[in-house]
Amino acid sequence: MAEKKQKVIAEEYIPEVKSRVITIDNKDYLLQNDAMFTFYERSMGEFSPFFLAIRDEKKILGCKCSKCGIVRVPPFVTHCPDCDFTPTEPVEVEQIGKMNTTPPITYFATSMFLDKAPFGRGRVILNGADTALSVMLYTTTGILVPGLIKKGTEVKVIFKDERVGQISDIYCIPTSELTPEQIAKKGLQESELNWEAPKEPEFPPASNEDIAIFKQSLKEMRAVAGEMSRSKRARRAIEGWKRDIAVKTKGGEFAMYINDGNFRIGEEKLDSPDFIMACEDPRTLLDGLRYKGAITDAVIMKKLWISKNMEFNTVFKLDRLARFLVMEKKEQATR
Amino acid sequence: MAKKVGIVGAGITPFKSRWHEKTYYELAQMATREAIRDADVSIKDVDAVFYGIYNDIFERTAIPEHPLQGILGLQNKPGIRISCGGATGAYTMSAAHAYLAGERYKIALVLGVEKATDCFDFLSMSATPEVIKTIAWSGDSFFEQKIGWTASDSYAEVVLGYMDKYPGTLKSEVTARISSLLSEQVRNNPYAQRQFDQVTPEEVINSRYIVYPFKEMEICVYSEGAAALILAEEETAKAISRNSGKPIVWITGVGESNEHSFAGKNHKNMSHIVSDYLGSHRAYEMAGIKDPVKAIDIVELHDAFVHQLEISLAEFGLVPYEKVDSLIEDGIMLPGGRLLVNPCGGLLYCGHAVGASNIMSAWSARKELIERNLKTALVHGTGSTVAQYTACLILEHE
Ligand SMILES: [Zn+2]
Repeated sequence: MAEKKQKVIAEEYIPEVKSRVITIDNKDYLLQNDAMFTFYERSMGEFSPFFLAIRDEKKILGCKCSKCGIVRVPPFVTHCPDCDFTPTEPVEVEQIGKMNTTPPITYFATSMFLDKAPFGRGRVILNGADTALSVMLYTTTGILVPGLIKKGTEVKVIFKDERVGQISDIYCIPTSELTPEQIAKKGLQESELNWEAPKEPEFPPASNEDIAIFKQSLKEMRAVAGEMSRSKRARRAIEGWKRDIAVKTKGGEFAMYINDGNFRIGEEKLDSPDFIMACEDPRTLLDGLRYKGAITDAVIMKKLWISKNMEFNTVFKLDRLARFLVMEKKEQATR
Repeated sequence: MAKKVGIVGAGITPFKSRWHEKTYYELAQMATREAIRDADVSIKDVDAVFYGIYNDIFERTAIPEHPLQGILGLQNKPGIRISCGGATGAYTMSAAHAYLAGERYKIALVLGVEKATDCFDFLSMSATPEVIKTIAWSGDSFFEQKIGWTASDSYAEVVLGYMDKYPGTLKSEVTARISSLLSEQVRNNPYAQRQFDQVTPEEVINSRYIVYPFKEMEICVYSEGAAALILAEEETAKAISRNSGKPIVWITGVGESNEHSFAGKNHKNMSHIVSDYLGSHRAYEMAGIKDPVKAIDIVELHDAFVHQLEISLAEFGLVPYEKVDSLIEDGIMLPGGRLLVNPCGGLLYCGHAVGASNIMSAWSARKELIERNLKTALVHGTGSTVAQYTACLILEHE
């Protein structure tokens, strides 16, 4: 999970100088690609010791009020506002702590964090501290699911191998996933952990019934896909998007093609798809496309496997495709 | 003794997912024109303007209000911009109230506007990831922005903290039912972004997770639009009302609170929205309300998330913490219940044009008080990380 990006703003985020015209009620309106950007050489000021300790010594620092004794982590004040600004002094705290509350999990991230989702972010009270440090949370067992990390769950700070002196140099994982040696070690690094590699699920041989379900599902999916491609509103969900997806199920394989508003199901096996989806029962996907349960949730609940985490983005678009089709039908019925 | 202050006019633009046809200059003027017409006054009668605009990056300019001064016909008059995250609109009304009550001005324009969805992510070819990124620039820049802080995940922290403390509350059947109820209520709001998007509780439950525990249909939608109010001090308000023939809705209570943004011992209590408790109770005290359950007829609150709507109503003292689901289970907010909650459809269905949202809520509360001939409404705004900011107003219809 090391930072790959070299530039402050990665090249792929930057649009071309371009404009387009859209027509509403027979009038033309102009849209122009644009950006508002400012670069910084940011002062870390009084926080410098905290960030340098993470980067160079793999230590977590807090500050202790010399009057009331409260230990704040991160050390966000030099003088205690609760004690008429009595000076605080730096203290080191432990790298193990407990979750202050149950952390949320972000599935739909901002454009800058699409490649990191799904991730947890929560607040940990490290042993020796009184206030909570905001941290990202991961599991070594694959996708983080609700219930895995809760209020009171013990977690440990993990240091990335390449550190730049930012809060993103660290994150936490549950101590239940670590060996006693790893738990005891100070400054435990990411490369010392045993990350479970994403493995494509294998399905048992298909029965005649499975094959029948597959054929029926495929037929129904093609019908829905046809409706989607004809729906003006649904087309907007996959505007400007292109993906060839290989779908593997117990009863057989097929292909899904997203191409700038068009959505098509093919019966062929793809040799070089953009990514692979695998779900034992094709009806999981069919239900998603028919707006009877989100495909996103099928991934979260491990009923559907995707070969690239980044493609959560495409999964969101498929969910929107299903929703937009239903919305268009409803609107037509209301008006 | 501070002067009484009343609302004598209000107007909003349609809230839309995108206004390709208008810039925020024109949206601001549209809402102002409506409010002036409603109060039957001239813009020349207005002494000062209070702008509610949340995020400079949305409008793609710092000091976004400066061109509006002349566009609204208020050149050479005082103008102040308020920016307090999601609570911007409510804080803007609170500021205007203070100036009028303090007899600095007689008539003020409160104008909220936001153009959020010009932001566009060219990588995913959609607006939303860029809109939430733009809001994410509001997070703590040293300790949280770089680890994926968003408005949604910070509110989710508080909601999960509440569920840790009060297990068994905020049940998904209840949050789904509330979302569905709001989608029915929005039918009567022709300005709403989702006027015809009625959803069943089952559809809400089946919608995808955005940030656990929030599902897509339990979160407000980003909008573009503007909302305006004309406020006046007592004698001026009475004169305007006599002329326009429209009743005055008085602002009888105002209360605000900003909590700590860091959590832990003696810091932010992550299992509550203390700012909602303090903001509402300070407003009750000013309005002389002893028992809010008896006094409040309508609540127009900032429903950024359905779960937070429930918690906020508990913090307002309108439903017990451990029985917050009685909002639905005992029918408190169902049709015929004792509380009318977000008749406009809330920010979930009318839309969230941040700086304008709470002002739209006040527009709706005033309209409902007059049309239904009810007495008292609570208007609320929440904002910043972990529901840190709150501003509340009590509106009373004579
Ligand atoms: Zn102290």
